[in-house]
Amino acid sequence: MPAALDPGLDALLAGYRGYLRLFAGSRLAPALSRPRPVRRTGFETELVVDRREEIADGVVALTLARPDGAALPEWTPGAHVDVVLPSGAQRQYSLCGDTADPARWRIAVRRVDGSGGSHEVHADVHAGTRLTVRGPRNAFPMATETGYLFVAGGIGITPLLPMVARADALGADWRLVQLGRDTASTPFTGELARHDERVVLRTDAGHGGPPTAAEVLELGTAGRPVPPAVYLCGPPALADAVRTELAATAPATRFHSERFSAPPVRGGRPFRAELARTGRTVEVAADESLLTALRRELPGIAYSCRQGFCGTCRVGVLDGGVDHRDTLLTPAERDEEMLVCLSRARDASLVLDL
Amino acid sequence: MGDTVYADETRAIQARDMDFHWDDVPLHYIPGRMVATHVYNCMHLLLPEGEKAMSKALADALPLIEDPRLREEVVGFVGQEATHADNHGGMLERLISLGLDPSPVLDRLDRLISIIMSDAGEERIRHQLLCERLALFSALEHYTAVWGKFFLESEGLGRSGMHPMVLDLLRWHGAEEVEHRSVVFDAFMHVDGGYARRARTGVLGSLALALTGFLTLGYLVAKDPSGPRGVRRWTRAAGEFVRATKDRIIPNTTCFLTEIPVYLRRDFHPSELGGTDLAVRYLAHAPIKRTAA
Repeated sequence: MPAALDPGLDALLAGYRGYLRLFAGSRLAPALSRPRPVRRTGFETELVVDRREEIADGVVALTLARPDGAALPEWTPGAHVDVVLPSGAQRQYSLCGDTADPARWRIAVRRVDGSGGSHEVHADVHAGTRLTVRGPRNAFPMATETGYLFVAGGIGITPLLPMVARADALGADWRLVQLGRDTASTPFTGELARHDERVVLRTDAGHGGPPTAAEVLELGTAGRPVPPAVYLCGPPALADAVRTELAATAPATRFHSERFSAPPVRGGRPFRAELARTGRTVEVAADESLLTALRRELPGIAYSCRQGFCGTCRVGVLDGGVDHRDTLLTPAERDEEMLVCLSRARDASLVLDL
Repeated sequence: MGDTVYADETRAIQARDMDFHWDDVPLHYIPGRMVATHVYNCMHLLLPEGEKAMSKALADALPLIEDPRLREEVVGFVGQEATHADNHGGMLERLISLGLDPSPVLDRLDRLISIIMSDAGEERIRHQLLCERLALFSALEHYTAVWGKFFLESEGLGRSGMHPMVLDLLRWHGAEEVEHRSVVFDAFMHVDGGYARRARTGVLGSLALALTGFLTLGYLVAKDPSGPRGVRRWTRAAGEFVRATKDRIIPNTTCFLTEIPVYLRRDFHPSELGGTDLAVRYLAHAPIKRTAA
């Protein structure tokens, strides 16, 4: 950059400094910029279970509404809500009702062994139970296309149900492959029956085990070309297999699957985190991340990717050895900080600057 | 104070881990388009430090935001901007290894950013400075969202022969700018929201961004090893610039004037820009690292 420009640039920078002195530093500043903040509410709200229905073996559907019956926020297919259960545990469920119904949301929960949340829903949540619900939030948005293939693995049908309704309303060419263990435990088969041959139900019981990705695509295309977009919700192994198969056989097809939040904790041991600023302690279980445990005590703690690369959840470590599991922090940073979404204590406890 | 109830859903904003490699990117990564290449180089030069500053300003605003929805949007924004800075930084290092010297631009940018980020001891002034900063960045985010949508929809850019990885960098960045286009605006409206401040910084930010961009472009064109020297270099560059705009390889820079009245409308909200479908479709193909399940 030619040095001849520098006097001009210097003058501009000096002008900007003067601007800030006037509009931020001076006594006149508050009068020159009158605040008019916009505050919004309603992201977190208390809803009541309007209806509870066992819709398949081990699956209950809950219809949620405001206690006064007033309108809920609008949502689009793929949206989910955080539900705070009576015990305080928090789980995310896809909305699987009608996007055009302003007053009611529907979620469906399968009872899964080893998942306390789902057992609690099945045992303790009834018509009339009040639940704190946060959302709706969409991490699985649906784009407009001319044709769709939907693939649902078991309870993964929930976000796809409103997508199917929208595809149908758009007049798109769509098919749904619904995978399940057996017919009795596969939800929403009755609701979907009206779509006739567009919906293919394939059970492990009927075929002696789960399908390969190639079989899934074959069922979904019935000999025709793969549509421009595939939307899948199901176990990560199914998603990976279908993604790989599509990359090899139909690379132009856009593959969407719900981004599964945090990777599972591997080889974790329980430990204790002390929060230096509040003096409180948090017990971290072997199979949960430090971030998950901290959120019980500090619900507003900052985090984003939950996979150790964005650095948002960086926290200062005052005492204790850290088992660093990220690839982001530099060696110097590792002496003083950790990413709580992935990294853990090397020993029994840590003291954090929180 | 305007209190309203949310009537719609929020979009989950999460950083993505990208799988970019720059080793085979040439200096002129849009074949035969020296000036258009340098327009994009301006981004690689200015964005890493610019986005870090923006990330920091939003992180500073976080304690003032109690609304849980806006909080999670801001946190997601901070994460996305940090990965934008990292990935453009990787591209910048490649350009440096090809012989481009960014230091004259970066030194001056550093001085500008240090004024934007300047702080004060007194709480009242600190708050005013933070509000100014949020308002300024809200205006700049309007441009990144407009350009982001351009990167996703421009057939001219898609056909330009741009190195595919640089094109993916732009489109991924553009898609996330479209995704989080409302966050800084909403954060400013939550913390301050004053119209005088929004209007002032809208005009100031537009002019400052245009000036910074054109000075950086001028520097890059002047230093380019190819082409004629002297006056002919500049007449040729001006012709190339006009052609690249007409062919929709670069966004139309008249936006620095035409977008001002849009942004200054009292009832303006970034959500009206649209482009969400384009972003969703592109991200299905973006080179995102897949963590093994």
